[in-house]
Amino acid sequence: MDMLLEALLSILTLEGLITILAGVTAGLFIGALPGLTATMALAVLLPFTFTMSPLQGLMALGAVYMGAIYGGAFTAILINTPGTPSSIATTFDGYPMARQGRAYEALAAATIASVVGGIIGVAFLLLLAPPLARLAVVFGPAEMFWVALLGLTLVASLSSGSLLKGLLGGCIGMLLSTIGVSPIGGETRFIFGFPALQGGIELIVALIGLFVIPELISMAAQGRGALPESGKLKGGAGSAILRMGKHIFSKPINLIRSCIIGQIIAIIPGAGGNVTSLVAYNEARRFSKDPASFGKGNVDGVIASESSNNVMVAGSMVPLLTLGIPGAPPDAIILGVLLMHGLRPGIDLFTETGVLTNGFILSMGFAALFLLPVGLMGGRLIHRIVVKTPFYFLLPSIAMVTILGTYALRNSMVDVFIMLLLGTVGYFLRLIGIQAAPIVLGMILGVIAEKGYVQTMLAAVVDPIPWLRLVANPLSIVLACLVVLSVATTLLPGWLERSGRMAKAKRDEEQAP
Amino acid sequence: MTLRLNTDLAAGVFGLLFAALLWFPRESMGRLSIIFPRAILVITVVISLALIVKAFTKPAARRVHVEGNPVRLAVMIVVLFVWWYAIGLLGFLLATAIVFFGLTWYLARVEGPVTMRRLAQWVPVVALLIGAFYLAFTQVLNVRLPSGIWS
Amino acid sequence: MKFATTRWVGSLSLLAALGIPGMALAEYPEQPITYTIPFDPGGESDVTARFQEPHLEEILGVDVNVKHRPGGGGAVGWSEFQSSAEPTGYEMIGVNIPHIIAQPIMRENAGYETDGWKIVTFFHTTPNALIVPKDSPFKTLDDLVQYAKENPQAVTLGGSGTFSANHLGALRLEREAGIDVTYIPFTGTGPLPAAVQGGHVSGIFNYSMLGVQMQDNARVLAVASEERVPALPDVPTFKELGYDIVGGAYRGVAVPKDTPDEIVNKLEEAFAKTNQRIAEKQEPLGFVMTDITDEEVDKVMQQLKSAYQPILEEAKANQ
Repeated sequence: MDMLLEALLSILTLEGLITILAGVTAGLFIGALPGLTATMALAVLLPFTFTMSPLQGLMALGAVYMGAIYGGAFTAILINTPGTPSSIATTFDGYPMARQGRAYEALAAATIASVVGGIIGVAFLLLLAPPLARLAVVFGPAEMFWVALLGLTLVASLSSGSLLKGLLGGCIGMLLSTIGVSPIGGETRFIFGFPALQGGIELIVALIGLFVIPELISMAAQGRGALPESGKLKGGAGSAILRMGKHIFSKPINLIRSCIIGQIIAIIPGAGGNVTSLVAYNEARRFSKDPASFGKGNVDGVIASESSNNVMVAGSMVPLLTLGIPGAPPDAIILGVLLMHGLRPGIDLFTETGVLTNGFILSMGFAALFLLPVGLMGGRLIHRIVVKTPFYFLLPSIAMVTILGTYALRNSMVDVFIMLLLGTVGYFLRLIGIQAAPIVLGMILGVIAEKGYVQTMLAAVVDPIPWLRLVANPLSIVLACLVVLSVATTLLPGWLERSGRMAKAKRDEEQAP
Repeated sequence: MTLRLNTDLAAGVFGLLFAALLWFPRESMGRLSIIFPRAILVITVVISLALIVKAFTKPAARRVHVEGNPVRLAVMIVVLFVWWYAIGLLGFLLATAIVFFGLTWYLARVEGPVTMRRLAQWVPVVALLIGAFYLAFTQVLNVRLPSGIWS
Repeated sequence: MKFATTRWVGSLSLLAALGIPGMALAEYPEQPITYTIPFDPGGESDVTARFQEPHLEEILGVDVNVKHRPGGGGAVGWSEFQSSAEPTGYEMIGVNIPHIIAQPIMRENAGYETDGWKIVTFFHTTPNALIVPKDSPFKTLDDLVQYAKENPQAVTLGGSGTFSANHLGALRLEREAGIDVTYIPFTGTGPLPAAVQGGHVSGIFNYSMLGVQMQDNARVLAVASEERVPALPDVPTFKELGYDIVGGAYRGVAVPKDTPDEIVNKLEEAFAKTNQRIAEKQEPLGFVMTDITDEEVDKVMQQLKSAYQPILEEAKANQ
């Protein structure tokens, strides 16, 4: 406890607080730009920390990380573009809310959820790091395969309308993810003779293309901006914030569930923030009394997504700080910084250099707190810009930022072309009922599923029946059962209803006294 | 604009075409590389066939509704690709200046004719927008943008 | 924030202050140098470039901009560099062995050639290390070899990538010890610590750095360097144990083929000086600093090519 107090005092200086504030703000703006991910925000701002002391440098980077993950929500809500992959699920209900003129409500809900998520993540990290870290190493290739399948069952709920089309979208996404160098075989696949395709289709490139470009095309066709101009606030910004705060805290189950999901997934190395928000969203919908309203502007969807992905920020540091295992891609950079300062992940980090480590952890909590003022003010500003700007300026501006962001990701004009191509095709696919979300989900999980499956099969070459390795240990059996259960609970209600059995069952129930 | 189109059939055919696109040039891939894509390709084909069957038995929507003006839709798509090509040719700044201004003018005409005066007023606004993002990316984020023929 | 103008002015004034006399003779460099890293930020290559950047800037007196061009295990950046970089000395790219040897052999169209540039220097190597979980039954390398002899293919060794330094190391161990193990590639170094600590593989073939990083939770059986790695003084080399396996990744920089010699020499010098300054920070992490230039580069390349080529070609035939 002394150490914690000392750590607290070491960050509660004017300099420390300014560092956090600057980090959160910088992260927020970079995260809000499509194409510029949290990983990139950290990489770009890394050199500025070289001149700082180790603690100050880590504080700055932790704050940037927190800000960037949260910043993704802005564009997700306002222009249907996940600024970072971790806010994909925020678009599902955030953008419909914005289209209904409730953009600021969505932003306020996202902000409050992010703040709570960020702080809960820090609490998990401070109190439960060692036991949680043990969880991180139990996920081997076979388990990862099942985790990916579990994620893929989300397709069923993400495909509004036709399940078959959703599945087709998922398959297309998985196939897109196989372009480039094969993760296990090491050969190039489906590159059609272009060396540039060896790099594959980057998730972010597809994400921007599939989400932004169709929206831009239809905005141009309809001659409208992203948001209706009548998007005035009922009773001003203050009352929107209050209303959302009340909504969130009066029914905290959604928030709590999302935070726990966020923490568990954050620990699984390789799954990372891309998946957390999707899973939390799906569960929020599954347990909702009114699942049909999801995807049409239900604020609970935004809350689930944004709270879970901000838990991930501190949450993914659990395996990083204790075992040196980066839980999410941006953590790899934090690991680099730790090593650069001569800090080796492990128990020493919590004992010998405990003041530093605890200071870093606590500073992330402060960063989460700072999201509240920075986010609410910044949100107000960006919201006003998007609503007030005439669409003929807004549209080319969004297009420009999209091109810039995509280019900056890998310094590649080829990526920009791929982004535009996927976007155009995506527009027509959307017309025939194949949505962007299952495609992107397929891209995220296809890689995980492939690696898990092929690695398991490789390790099982000596076994008589290799695929039994997939269910060789208790955790993978549990996960496999969860997959079956998830499929059943998503499909059964619709199925029963359609075959009329539900109605009959109801009648029987009424007749039975 | 509303088109008559059996969406199940369209989706099924697209799935088959996409699978064919990847299947035929698959080269001589090793077992470890092909195992996963092959499985997914098979599933894709099965789902596509199921969609095609469904298209003839119980089709979903038979109409596709395209919101807005189809000409502007096509122009927007073309403009995006022209923009991409122009950046490689002319460099980011010049290409973006031209395309951005042109696109703004084209879109603004939706609300009625645009006078020369308004056009002239936009020049500084567009310049400021492009300049701000250009500087942010090149100076703050240290991204080297394509300079096209000017390099 | 980094504003180029202020930095430019800064470096100018620095030059003026130092009043370097040689400036009149050799004008290079006078504009910012782009240093491309063909990998993602956060990896070993990137971390090293970050270490080098400020020192290179100070020594060369101009900005050095690190730019990432990841994809295809480096191949995307390398093919772009060979097809478009100008031999002016203002463009250089990080190169890694064995990547640049293995990819052109193993891929139909990697888009670049192993010798399609001038390699300025290899500034460090990271030798392979064989790491097993702390509770592993294999206390020594001999335990592992013995078990693998009795149970072909049952020992699973994880590593980063296919036909990478790790994979080639595992293949050489198979040849040298006459055993048959199963190599399981992972994408990058990131997932390896979890694979070893969770017992998902019998061991991993990775770089010495990971061995240093995981001291608390794992055991390093051997390292594939000529001499013991300074950061792991208690770990024997494969050579000491009777297996002739020396290898790992070499990292360096290359410039386009026709770059003038004076420029190459200047860069060599700058990297050598930089190395001396950052050694203190990098050595404890498990890097082995080197200063391989000129003919030595060709010698190393020849030696490694002849070591790897037969292994690679055999593997390709088996695919």
